[in-house]
Order: sequence, then C-alpha cells, then structure tokens
Amino acid sequence: MYELNICHLYPDLLNLYGDRGNIIAIARRSQWRGIKVNISDISIGDEFDAEKYDIIFLGGGQDFEQEVIQDDVLNKKGNEIRNAIENDKIFLAICGGYQLLGNYYKTWDGKEIEFLRALDLWTIGSKKRMIGNFCFECDFLKTDSFDGRVVGFENHSGRTYLGPSVRPLGKIVKGYGNNGEDGFEGAIYKNVYCSYSHGSLLPKNPHLTDYLITLALKQKYKDFDSLEKLNDEFEELARKTMIQRIVG
Amino acid sequence: MNIRLTFTIIVTKILVFALRLLKSGGTTLPGKVARKLYPDIIKVISRDYKIIMVTGTNGKTTTTRIIGEILKVNNLKYISNKSGANLFGGIVTTFIDSVDLRGRAKAPIALIEVDEAAFNVVTDYIEPDVLVVTNFFRDQLDRYGELYSTLNSVKSGIGKCQKTKLVLNADDSLCASLGKDSGKEVVYYGFAKEAYSSAEKLVNSDAMFCIFCKTKYDYENHVYGHLGTFVCSSCGYCRPQSRVTCEKVLELNTSHSNVLFSIISKESELENKTLQAKINLPGLYNIYNALAATACATALELSSDNLVEALENFECGFGRMETISTEGKTIKVILVKNPTGFNQVLNFLMTEDKNMQVAFLINDRLADGTDISWLWDVDFEILEDAQERIDNFYVSGIRAEDMAVRLKYAGIDCSKIHIVKNYEELLAKGLSNTETGHNFYILPTYTAMLDIRKLLRKKFGLKEFWK
Repeated sequence: MYELNICHLYPDLLNLYGDRGNIIAIARRSQWRGIKVNISDISIGDEFDAEKYDIIFLGGGQDFEQEVIQDDVLNKKGNEIRNAIENDKIFLAICGGYQLLGNYYKTWDGKEIEFLRALDLWTIGSKKRMIGNFCFECDFLKTDSFDGRVVGFENHSGRTYLGPSVRPLGKIVKGYGNNGEDGFEGAIYKNVYCSYSHGSLLPKNPHLTDYLITLALKQKYKDFDSLEKLNDEFEELARKTMIQRIVG
Repeated sequence: MNIRLTFTIIVTKILVFALRLLKSGGTTLPGKVARKLYPDIIKVISRDYKIIMVTGTNGKTTTTRIIGEILKVNNLKYISNKSGANLFGGIVTTFIDSVDLRGRAKAPIALIEVDEAAFNVVTDYIEPDVLVVTNFFRDQLDRYGELYSTLNSVKSGIGKCQKTKLVLNADDSLCASLGKDSGKEVVYYGFAKEAYSSAEKLVNSDAMFCIFCKTKYDYENHVYGHLGTFVCSSCGYCRPQSRVTCEKVLELNTSHSNVLFSIISKESELENKTLQAKINLPGLYNIYNALAATACATALELSSDNLVEALENFECGFGRMETISTEGKTIKVILVKNPTGFNQVLNFLMTEDKNMQVAFLINDRLADGTDISWLWDVDFEILEDAQERIDNFYVSGIRAEDMAVRLKYAGIDCSKIHIVKNYEELLAKGLSNTETGHNFYILPTYTAMLDIRKLLRKKFGLKEFWK
C-alpha cells in the first residue's frame, strides 16, 4: 500500500482564507484511492526534518502572524527548507507562504523585510489590493481532455516578480495574478509550486491536486505508474461554473 | 426653527414611507439622501439621546435585541435599527425616522447596532454613552482587510470618544485588549473557568498569540473559538476580571440554556449577586450574547431584578433561528456568515436527536463576502459521523457547487448531496422529505437569507423585518 507523508508548516499561524482545504483535498483524494496519508503539523519551536515528508504545504497568514513566525522560519527552519527545495522536495505554497519563499518583501513605504531566498522572486507591496475570483491556464496540466484552466480567489496587495530561474505556474485568463502587469500567475521552481490562489485552490482543481499526488508517488515509489480516475462531477461543476461566470 | 433641518427630515421621512409602501424595506437610502441635504444632521438629531452602540463581528443583532428586551422590562423607551441596517446610512435613517419634524427625540434612548467596519466612521459624528463589543472573529476578510485591521479600526473609533463606558468580552483576547490602558470605565463579561469546558479542540484559531508580545497564550479554560481564560506567560497580559460572569452552564439544548450568572453591579462592591436564568436561545454563543446584554445593563446601572424575565422573554429574529411551522413540520432558518458562527450552528445541529433535512444557501455577494474560501475553515467534518441523522444535504445559492464540493471533502456521501438552485423547488423538496414532527434546517448566508425570507414570507406569512 502506498503512503504519503504531508507536512503542514505553521498550521496555527499560516491558515488564512481556508488554505487548509488544500491539505484536506490531498488527503481525501489519496484516501479515496486507498493511499494512506499521514499529516504532520509543524509550527514554531518544532523540529523540522524535511526528509520525513513527501509534500510540504505552506499557507498564507495575516501580517501579525507572519511577524510571529519570522524568526522561527528564517533562523530555525530556513536552511532545512532551502536544502529540501534544492533536493527536489515537493512544496505547495500559497499567497503569504509563496512570498515567504522569495528573497524579500518591500512594503509600499520602502521598508524591506528579509525572506527565505529559496526561490529567486521578490514582492513589492502596493496600496491597491488585488481581490477577486480569477482563472489561469497551466500548460503542464493540459491534456486532450483538459483545458488546463485553474480557478481560485486572489486577495493580495503584494506584487510578485520572478527571476530568471523561476517560471510562472500559469498564464492569467482573468484576474491579476502575480503583479497585475505581466499576465502571469504563481511560480514553479524544481518541485515547488506557488500560487496566490485561495478558494481553497486544490479542491475544485482536482487535476492540479492529482498532479501533485502523482509527482509525490513517482518520487517515492519506483513502481508507481498513475492514479486511478475518480468521479469529479461536483469539482468540475464548481470549476466550470466559475469559469463560465468570469471568463464567459 | 431650523428650516433646512425640518426640510431634510420631511424629505427623508417621505422617502422612508414610500420605500415601505414599495415593500423594499428602505433602510439605507433615506439616510444617504439626508446626509447629502444636511451633512451634519446626525450630530444634531442624536444629541438628546442616551446612546448605546453594539459592535463586533458575531452576535451584534441578537445582543442588541436582548438589550432591547431588558430596556423594555425596565419600562425604558428606546429607538433601534432593528432590521440590521447597521452601516452609517442605515443609522442616520433610524434617527431621522425617530425624531419629530423639529429634530426632537421621541424616546430617551437610542440602541444602535453598528457594523464593525462602520464604527470608526460613525464615531466622527456620534459618541455612544455605552459601547458593547461582542467579539472579533474572522469575518468577510476580503471586505475589511484583516481581523487586526478591524480591531484597530474599532480601537481608533473608541479613541475619539470622551465619555463612553465600554462593555467588553473578557474571554476574547482581542476584544479585551480594547479596554487595556484605555482610561475608560470597562465592564467585562465572560465565562468563569469552571463554567463550561469545551470538547472542541483549540485549533485554527483567530488569536493564538499574544497581541502585545506575540507569545503563544496558555489557556486555563477554553470555551469555543479563541474564547477562554487566556494568559500570556511572557508579558502577563491575561483575561481581565469580569463583572458579569457565567458561573455555570447548567443545561444546553436545542431550544434554550440554563445558566448561573453572577453580577458585580458596582466596581466598588465586593459582593456579587448570583442569578439563575433560562436563556430562551440555544447555543453557547447566545450565552455570550446574553452576558454582553447583561453587562450593558450593568454599565447603565439598571437593576438586575428583572433581568431573568428579559432573558426568558427574548425571541429570535431576522434569520437568527426563525421558526416556521407548517403541517406539523418545522422550518428553522439560521444565518451563517463566518467560520466560528458556522461551527457553532453545526455543533447545535449535533444536539438534534431526530432525523432532519439540512440546506446550505451560499451566496458571494458583497454583503456575504465575495470570497467563500472561509467555507474551508468551517469544521464540516463533524457531520461525517452524523450522516445517518441527516437524510439530505441540499446546497443552493450562487455558490451551491462549491458547497457541494466542501461537503464531499468533509466525507459526506455524494448521493445525499443535492444541488437545487431554485428556492421554490428547494423548499418543496426539503419539506416533503421532512417527517411530521421533524425539522428542516435552512442555513443561508446574508443575502441568501434575504431571498429565502422573501419566499417564506410569501408562502407562510413570515413578518416583515422592519416591524
């Protein structure tokens, strides 16, 4: 029997806008296929050994909570996170967690907050919030029967820019995405997937969820081939209803 | 006589009257018009009132109504924005609707529910004599930014007030922080450590870390959400002493609760008075609402003699467990709007011992919050083990499909989940599947509640909400 170990980093602090729905989605879709899932909550002061986990999740937090974790994440867990990423560990990071993996966050009044420097990207704060349902297209998800379109809800004032070693997660169909300027959303670096999408992201985008589960199982089990198909009627209805509404 | 004032009042009153004739409620627009005609009108017409304001994220409407009941049993006349028109425009309308043509007060007290984001604007014009703050839970973050911004905005509003007495929730570290170093008289309310112990885990909470020094709080007792006897081991910030306290929850069921209260009516008094009261509303959150209202009465220095009567008399309103009986079956409508409130409602459903039908009506209009991500912070997983008692899960509203996904991932059997977008059809299906003597629960978000109420009013004669 296959088994996946999921790590939820700072679940008590980085838990904005239902981001834990992503953990629920990975867990349920694995369990429905008979794959055992263990979820570990790792927070401030906890030992973090990335080798123990197959997928590591980092959600978004309010400013207050991001300040609370700042010391722990940079000084206690920073090296481990950077090493794990270089060693191809699978990460999913949303919103504040996405920004945190980058180089720094510059507030709109010029204050620079040091971040993890695990991915070559950076974020500049602005006074205008980018809020709303949005849709983007991921080439790596496209198949003959799937259009690669992912839907979610974005809510951020930071504008994120990618360095040359990082590629975007998708191309904006409707909404703002990384910065509202270049038409891209999120980031991919090695096996790290980043997005501004809440919603939660994974539940109504089962193609993306299954993509991550497949990636993790392939990395862990040499004999693993592919996931069995599930009935995704509700998920597809939710995704398509939103695409119909905002894209037309 | 101030001609411009009288003119504005007449125009506004006509507007209110006309909108009511059109059956559109008309609770906000007239106020907006009045402010255009006479920007300072609210300052002028509110000055004769003793003003009580109620704000916070959850429980404002119910708390306001319980305070109203307490005023009523004390024979105190008051005006109030009963219909939940709690933004600035609606508040202005309420005042204008309640003064005579010269702008004189018709009652001595104004009891006003104020939206937590509007409070800071309202205090530019009106200063309350007593301000009741219920709590701070995550609510519609996309509209207000973040919880801490909401807290700071209320704090800034309080900063503008000179004479205001504060009534604050001692068990909410965020709410109680408003009283610390405020230099104002504060009546705190809350649960004693021994009153009730929650089986609910302290997870995914809105305020786990000290607001002053960012250290994780220790909890000597936890009631629900982040409410409880908190203490910060680092800076010493802790739950303040409460003057109105729930000493013991004696009984808690689907229709009411029975509690022991203690009240210290004056700060200088050492002895407290203990009362046993039946609160005619289910749920722990309503015990907090009753405590907040009682603390407000204490701040107003009202006698505690007829408090018990007021709490027992109280009836629900406007989507807070409104009940309609038809052909031996009962429809119950309970408003849901944020994770903590929703969790409380689900916990309440768990106390139901008969089989039931449950409908979730989820909209994402501005007043509901355009982001429905919060549904993933609601603990629907507790329904997984109670599935045999819920025959059907209906999902409706603009985001019905998302709600279906949420229930599926909570572990609900998909064959029990039905997407029914049409409310007529939803009511018919839900009722026909409800057994005689059983309940059909409808849980709508705010604007879905307005729509379903309209239909219920048409079909069953539910009363108009501005009356």
